[in-house]
Amino acid sequence: MEFMINFPILAVISLFLGAFVTSLAGRRSETARNAVVLISMATSLILVLCLIKPVLIDGEIITYWLGNWQPVEGWAFGISLQVDALSLFFALIVTVAVFVSGVYSFSYMKHDDSLVNFYTLFLMLSGSVLGLVLSGDLFNIFVMIEIMTFTAVALTAFRNNYEGALEGAFKYLIVGALGSTSVLVGVAMIYSQLHTLNLAQIAALLPSHMNPVTVAAFGFLFVGFGTKAFLFPFQPLAADAHAVAPASISLMISGVLTKCGVYGIVRLCYALYQNMDQPFVQYLVTGVGAVSMFICVTMAFNQHNFKRLLAFHSISQVGYVITVAGMGTMLGLSAGLYHAMNHTIFKGLLFLTAGAVQHATGTLDLDEMGGLSKKMPKTTILFLIGAASISGLPPFNGFASKWMIYQAAFERAADGNIFFLVAAVAALITSVLTLASFIKVAQSVFFGQLPESMKDVKEVDQGMCIPMWIMAALCVITGLFPAQIQQWLLVPAAKAAMNAAAYIDAAMGNGYAAANGIAASSAAAPAFIGSWNPVTWLLLLLSVTIAVCLVAVLGNPNPKTTEVAEETEGDDKFESFFSGEKAVFSQVGGSDLFWGFKHNWRKYFSFMHDWHSGVVNDYALYGAAAIAVVLALCVIFL
Amino acid sequence: MIAMNYMASFALIALGIYCIVSKRNLFKICIGSALVDYGVNLLIVSVGFNPGGTAPIFTITELNRASFFVDPIPQALTLTSIVIGACTTAMTLSLIMKIKEQYGTLDSGEIRRLRG
Repeated sequence: MEFMINFPILAVISLFLGAFVTSLAGRRSETARNAVVLISMATSLILVLCLIKPVLIDGEIITYWLGNWQPVEGWAFGISLQVDALSLFFALIVTVAVFVSGVYSFSYMKHDDSLVNFYTLFLMLSGSVLGLVLSGDLFNIFVMIEIMTFTAVALTAFRNNYEGALEGAFKYLIVGALGSTSVLVGVAMIYSQLHTLNLAQIAALLPSHMNPVTVAAFGFLFVGFGTKAFLFPFQPLAADAHAVAPASISLMISGVLTKCGVYGIVRLCYALYQNMDQPFVQYLVTGVGAVSMFICVTMAFNQHNFKRLLAFHSISQVGYVITVAGMGTMLGLSAGLYHAMNHTIFKGLLFLTAGAVQHATGTLDLDEMGGLSKKMPKTTILFLIGAASISGLPPFNGFASKWMIYQAAFERAADGNIFFLVAAVAALITSVLTLASFIKVAQSVFFGQLPESMKDVKEVDQGMCIPMWIMAALCVITGLFPAQIQQWLLVPAAKAAMNAAAYIDAAMGNGYAAANGIAASSAAAPAFIGSWNPVTWLLLLLSVTIAVCLVAVLGNPNPKTTEVAEETEGDDKFESFFSGEKAVFSQVGGSDLFWGFKHNWRKYFSFMHDWHSGVVNDYALYGAAAIAVVLALCVIFL
Repeated sequence: MIAMNYMASFALIALGIYCIVSKRNLFKICIGSALVDYGVNLLIVSVGFNPGGTAPIFTITELNRASFFVDPIPQALTLTSIVIGACTTAMTLSLIMKIKEQYGTLDSGEIRRLRG
């Protein structure tokens, strides 16, 4: 349909316009402010949903030229928005997450002041992220990255009376600016060689213009997008920023901002440079992903702050996405996209439950909490759903995507490639460690003994519960229908990412790609050994439950209870810390769980602890070193 | 001539990064980050330079195939980049102000409550 080409720009504009109107109208009344925010979020969500039919189902690529500046004689002068299935896939993730986060903020943030500024920044952040994934212009991507970084920094420091909020924001700003600068240098280098900024035209011209400058540009852009996804060695930033930001902003940072980095890397490797079939690029991307995956999960083990722990897990899961996207296969890419989507859902849910716990108890310290399941049963159930999803337990979505990830990794490892074998093993170990550390969280926050200070804790109100239930429902739905999601979302998106020729032709006119020697992609849909069958698992679960019930029923209904001896008083045997009754009910601190494991690995853990020193100079040094190393590797091997 | 520009821009970027990495004072870190921005601005504007070209200002009647001018797009990009750089500096300075109020120090070695 003809008018649909206006939808992408309208979706972006409605968010930016909402930001503007909020700051004007929102000062007068709270209702007007919330209404403006809700309307602009809903408008962009609906507009993006409308694009599903033409883009995902019919496979069209929508190109919108701002001011109708069409390409002239094969040169794209205008600025374009280009929406293919990959862009739309990420746009869907972004708009849904923005909507949930915004609705949650209404009740989560209601005790804070200067909320007009909060919602203005929030809508600008949402608009910039949506603009980034829909944009067809490299410089626009840079501008959107900058808006995104600024607003995210400002929102991180929003509760500036909160311990460490300013510090986290400052580190994020300095090191994040290093990453943005890296992107800008990459853009300048590409422009100097190709004299265009349009993504499609760059994609058409790059493969025939590979020289040291464009190779260096690849390195700069890769590190720049990696910074935005907080990949190794930028993970300390994520931990600092998440831990101090309001929970709804943590959802945005982990669920949406990191996806921009993932989108950037996928677009860069698959569409722009089309060098994903080269072993070096595969090793680079998979290596970075696997290292971030493993280091972050071990870092999460040692954390005492609920949200800081979740932050490290967040980067660990992004590591999965990057690892498997670097495999370069259709199965790998679709598994990565699936996990990217699921990561936004379950991580969002977990951050929202952390926010609910913080809202109710006023603390995020794992060692101070305990036994909250009695006071906050709904939050506990929601947390357990999120924890089961992220740890990859069936029938939730984390299992479905990890199942595909393992298959993609084993597929590559089956060729006898040691590197991918190590990556596959790292993915398995990471999953186990994730489960272990969520057991720790569940045990120290929701189970165990309730501290005296938390006797008056109440369940959070409906306004916060509803967004969490939406996320939990999405966790279950995306986990139960993997085959449908593959068919309608993942395969179109992965095909679009691999088919650079179609992307080029949609913007520059038919035949432009072929004229520049870009062959149309012949990548077929992967033979899906991938999708697991939830029904059989449910049947298994059901039969196990029935068996357990049967055993319970058939057993003796009145088991002999062990009589405690009369003379317990004064008997050393029943003293606490010796063997007696009292110790059974004492709380096991979050840090005491898995003590043996941590003791055996103490050298590694203390090294990692020192490495995350908290000094901004050190983090900048890691960033600069990452740029230097990637640049050197690119120039040598590419 | 133009090679000089490139060298100068990368020297500025390197100095800026050196400044961010080695200086403990928050203001110096901010200056380092601004230096990196200036280096990148110089790089972009040099990319569009044509030796001997005129300013890219023409009416539609004057413009013909023989017109020789510097590339206007990098200049527009540089302008955007300067604005963004100024925003970065302003934002960093305002954060530094607040940090000084809360922590009572400007030494980055002491501003590390979030670590490990």
